[in-house]
Amino acid sequence: MPEPSTPSSPSSVPPADLSFEKRWFLDGIVSGLPLAAPALPFGFVVGFLVSESANINNFTGWASAFIVFAGSSQLAAVELLADNASALVIIFTVFLINSRHIMYSAAMNPRFTGAPTWFRILGSYLLIDQSFALAENQPDDMALRDRMWSFLGTGLTFWVVWQTAVGLGVVLGNVIPEEWSLTFSVPILFMGLMVLSIKNRPGVIAAIVGGVVAFATRDFPQGTGLLLAIILGVIAGTLAETRLKADLAETASTS
Amino acid sequence: MNTLLIFIGCGLVTYFSRASFILFGDRVKLPETVQRSLAYVAPATFAAIMVPAVLGDDGLANLVPPSPQVGAIVIAGFAIAKTRNMAVALGAGMISLWLLQWVGL
Repeated sequence: MPEPSTPSSPSSVPPADLSFEKRWFLDGIVSGLPLAAPALPFGFVVGFLVSESANINNFTGWASAFIVFAGSSQLAAVELLADNASALVIIFTVFLINSRHIMYSAAMNPRFTGAPTWFRILGSYLLIDQSFALAENQPDDMALRDRMWSFLGTGLTFWVVWQTAVGLGVVLGNVIPEEWSLTFSVPILFMGLMVLSIKNRPGVIAAIVGGVVAFATRDFPQGTGLLLAIILGVIAGTLAETRLKADLAETASTS
Repeated sequence: MNTLLIFIGCGLVTYFSRASFILFGDRVKLPETVQRSLAYVAPATFAAIMVPAVLGDDGLANLVPPSPQVGAIVIAGFAIAKTRNMAVALGAGMISLWLLQWVGL
């Protein structure tokens, strides 16, 4: 996994005779694999739910993995379909759960300044929690070409793992014993992403507010609690940063 | 309603969210405050997904005494902070969970 301080050469150090595109693509794959591994039980559960649901045929359920390609919202959609929810309710729920990608997209856009249209079309499709987190943690002075190929490596790795995991779940059903608690690897993953994304004290405040509000509003309908938690967490972090800067300026002027 | 059409609708709103700024954002300049605030989207979001998933249906009752899940996630948090390595955090978290469940905490 590339450290924020990684100089502009791939962390996986593949053979030097490869082109830069291939080296950074490989670097993205290597960085993405530890993040993609926990998606296996998650995707397997989504596939398992599809295989159990009388309302969804197996192929259509599997197809959701490449049509939507967003785990928690797919899980919600499959559950709502099983409950005979209306199409509008299902699609709006998925939009609410996935609207955080608008914020990811806004954060990524300056990092892809000058990127060609084909990359923006494909890269948008591959913008998920994990590829966002890795790209966000890369150094600001990284070259655009390296950034692009690393992003594609991570995104496509995750895509292959996700299609495979959901497909296995559909085909095999629930053979993993529940006592293994493998779905717990999902919150561990988010804990790891959270810690890696915190770069200063206001970041800690954003995480605390986000976590506490999300817990307090966990019974809010259709993912609105999650949205509220994210927005309040971001506001808290930004206010804390403003306050911190004002304090520093005051200290500097009085000393 | 055809299930496939519903999934396609889900896919379109998801793709629109992802493409919004990457595909169409060059014409829009974000205000400075918004740009600063974007640094806090990731910590707030990941905490917001993680905390309810760890505490589960029993909520605060899982904190005192800590459930195996709460113990394991704290250990995983220390592991990632110390090593910055996701695989180490996963191993530490899962093994802690199994051990804590095994000793019956």
